[in-house]
Amino acid sequence: MAKEGKAKVPRRPIWTGSITIGLVNVPVKLHTMISDKAISFHFLHKDDGQPLKYERVCTKDNKVVPWENVVKGYEVSKGRFVVFEKDELNAARPESNQTIRLQKFVDYLSIDPIYLDRAYVLTPDESEDAYSLLFATLKKTGKAGVGRITLREKEYPVLVHPYKNALVLTTMRYAHEIADPSELEELSSLKEPNEIEVSLAKKIVADLSGEFEATEYRDTYQEKLKALIEKKMKGETIVYEQPAKEEAKELMIALQETLKQLKKK
Amino acid sequence: MSEKLTKVNFTNLSKVLYPDGNITKAQVIEYYIRIAPKMLGLLNKRPLSLTRFPDGVDKEGFYEKDVPMGTPSWVQTFKRYSETAQREINYIVCNDLDTLLWLANLAALEIHMTLSEIDSFENPDLALIDIDPEPPLAYDEVVEVALLLEEELEMLGLRSYVKTSGKKGLHVVIPIVEGYTFRQTREFVHEIGKRLANKSSIVVAELSRSRDPGTIFIDYTQNSHGRTMICPYSLRATPKATLSMPLEWGDIKKGLNPEEFNLVNARGIRSDPWKDLLHDKQKLR
Repeated sequence: MAKEGKAKVPRRPIWTGSITIGLVNVPVKLHTMISDKAISFHFLHKDDGQPLKYERVCTKDNKVVPWENVVKGYEVSKGRFVVFEKDELNAARPESNQTIRLQKFVDYLSIDPIYLDRAYVLTPDESEDAYSLLFATLKKTGKAGVGRITLREKEYPVLVHPYKNALVLTTMRYAHEIADPSELEELSSLKEPNEIEVSLAKKIVADLSGEFEATEYRDTYQEKLKALIEKKMKGETIVYEQPAKEEAKELMIALQETLKQLKKK
Repeated sequence: MSEKLTKVNFTNLSKVLYPDGNITKAQVIEYYIRIAPKMLGLLNKRPLSLTRFPDGVDKEGFYEKDVPMGTPSWVQTFKRYSETAQREINYIVCNDLDTLLWLANLAALEIHMTLSEIDSFENPDLALIDIDPEPPLAYDEVVEVALLLEEELEMLGLRSYVKTSGKKGLHVVIPIVEGYTFRQTREFVHEIGKRLANKSSIVVAELSRSRDPGTIFIDYTQNSHGRTMICPYSLRATPKATLSMPLEWGDIKKGLNPEEFNLVNARGIRSDPWKDLLHDKQKLR
């Protein structure tokens, strides 16, 4: 079970473009690297155990709206929207839509991890030599390149840095997306601890000090859920009844005949 | 399919359930659709137990007495303490076509029914005489014992109904009036077994000898609270997709081959020898 749960880099990139440094261009592909291993549940109808489906229903006439009649709207004030077509949104995409321009290099270890958002793997797109050169340079200097990328509806500041044998791109949060705890009143009135307490606490910390080992940690809640799921599978699996298809036609003919016979009785 | 003919959503219709004959779930469902008019009256108001083979008869199946999770709310159920299982069981009851088709869609190939109805669950309305041969025996010898049995019952003034078990035996059923206990029907069938054992050297009447090779055991033990019999017309989980086929006594003769009664030949079933079963209730002896 542990093996199947290990995250894998998918072959298909989610983005292709290039990294540019000055006049040098490195075509790259971007792949997801982080996968959330939470167990997901489906909503079922309590009475018959069948899955629920979601539909886009118009709030005015309560009718289901097909995708081709769906547009995006931004709520400018309560109940008032400005409408956007797909083309309009695409036209507004910045340069970072195609290009990650590295304008600055910083010490990777100097970055506060609170800004780090999500990591992606970069692979060369017929650009092995340039990719290898960038990787080796960053690895030797301990630096990370800083640039931007646009993914979906958002432009992110990013770091490009070596990890194991690959270049990794990590999206970062904007300063304004991170709340400032110094605004909290209950924290501004904290008393200074006395020195004896501090030295005692420091001793405890020293005793418990070690290296962080990511593999030491497991999600014990997920493990319990998995065990529970396995137990349920032994006798209590809910079968999802798919809707009948073309092959059911002959059965329907037989059914019609039988229903006629039963009615006669 | 604008008008809905059944509440059941058929699934995995192309799944092969009988690999020897390449018989799919669609064919199994179609069989149960076509046989339903003959079968439903016999199933009515009887708690069922199922043998399900979702991956086909060559893979392991499972026996199910309780309603499975996800049972639709329109399926009738019947809760009763089971002495054999020593716990309360919530049985499925099949009173309509939809339920029968739902069972077929669950790959519940074998449908077994109790010998009493839910309204008087403690009192059987059917006495079952199970002619259960132990190999090596030719089917003709099973036929011979069945004919002896019919003669014996006729002498007692009893009308009986016969069907193949779908496997190696024959089932003989006597519909009985209300008021008997399972103990009484069990003792009656046991007594019949003893009489036959006196007449034929291959018949054994005692459970302790039921596994003797080359014998035929008159199995009386099925006449018990909560025990079940394979339902008339139910399929069996055999390679040839045989079924438990109701027959006229006149059909019981040498050369009878129970494997002839199977899903592939089922289109030819016309007559319904068990039609009057439940309107022919008798007193034993």
